[in-house]
Amino acid sequence: MLRPNKNNMPLLLPLKLQEIVDDFASMTREEKLETLIAYAESFPSLPEWLKEERAKMEAVPECMTPVFLFGEKQTNGGIHFYFDIPPQSPTVRGLASILANGLNGCTIEEILTVPADFYMPMNLQEAVSQQRLNGFMGVLAHMKHEAVRLIENK
Amino acid sequence: MSYVHPEYLVDTEWVAAHLSDANIRIIESDEDPLLYAIGHIPGAVQVDWFSTLQHPLRRDFLTKEQFEEVNSKLGIANDTIVVFYGDKSNWFACYALWLFQYYGHKNVKIMNGGRLKWEKENRPLVKEVPSFTKTAYHAKEADKSIRAFRDEVLQQSNAKKPLVDVRSPKEYSGEMLHMPNYPQEGATRGGHIPGAVSIPWAQAVNETDSTFKTPEELRALYEGKNIKADGEVIAYCRIGERSSLTWFVLKYLLGYPNVKNYDGSWTEWGNLVDAPIEK
Repeated sequence: MLRPNKNNMPLLLPLKLQEIVDDFASMTREEKLETLIAYAESFPSLPEWLKEERAKMEAVPECMTPVFLFGEKQTNGGIHFYFDIPPQSPTVRGLASILANGLNGCTIEEILTVPADFYMPMNLQEAVSQQRLNGFMGVLAHMKHEAVRLIENK
Repeated sequence: MSYVHPEYLVDTEWVAAHLSDANIRIIESDEDPLLYAIGHIPGAVQVDWFSTLQHPLRRDFLTKEQFEEVNSKLGIANDTIVVFYGDKSNWFACYALWLFQYYGHKNVKIMNGGRLKWEKENRPLVKEVPSFTKTAYHAKEADKSIRAFRDEVLQQSNAKKPLVDVRSPKEYSGEMLHMPNYPQEGATRGGHIPGAVSIPWAQAVNETDSTFKTPEELRALYEGKNIKADGEVIAYCRIGERSSLTWFVLKYLLGYPNVKNYDGSWTEWGNLVDAPIEK
């Protein structure tokens, strides 16, 4: 389900993701940090049936956090994403957790139309530096690749 | 054979035994800024390489006055022993230590193995953020003998003096311009500074517990590539953090008297008009 964002801009975010973005936009710096940590700490562990798939993942260059994700198409057409990100990278975990909460259950089309800079109104750079927020773009791009893979598998 | 300046290194056991010493401050510096909030060594404070140590406007570090203010707030006095530790094999801990040295704080140490070793030993991590009484901190003038700027790096390259590129082999060869998720840390040209030898930083640490390799192994590693104690050495990477670790190893563990970190690193050199590049 899509709805217009606050400024009635034409580009729409899925409802749940928009709610999260709006929530963050109204928080103080400390609240943002606490909420991001809560998202990181509520990061679900990878289900057993995906462990084998996870083992096949290619190694990533040294500075990067290895992000494993797997999309599963549900009977109603929505996509459910499963993640595996090491606990040593709580920032990336927190960002991925926000995206999972905001986009799980969305259709392929909804996922593909999320703009790469959707997070700008959250003003998260006041809590974690702009550099770290690149993780958002990275994880979102990864989710879009998964969505495309699911189209091809149709 | 031991490290040349072993006093710059402490182990986790030593830190565990000195958690409540008033003249010791433990500083966590991580690549991931949320790690401290999720749990840190009891009594440790956080210094973030970006939000705490960088100048708010220019591409530079804090000014001397701003650095004094940071230390004052953290309750660090001029004679406080400051122990650094962090994630990613102490990259950013070494970076913070280097900056403390730049402004003349002499009594600094790295906790060998960093956060990874502390966690593996199941030592306590807490969420409580300590607060300390403000101190009157007086920094020294910046010590440029440990920091290299671009003109000096060019002279170094032209004079065929030792340059160490500590990035991964693909960055050195120019195949990779930037890390896929770090577009701001990119460069318009790939390759390395002419004459630089490739000694990836990770070869100086043990993968299993992030501790530094033995003095023998370190000596063989750098001397084997002709990086010797009698040379004036400059180390660089992409933004100067991984090379801080190499700088620490060469300066204190191997005792090279003349070592500089080029913090401009590839994000400056690979974007610099007219700078010579080798591939």
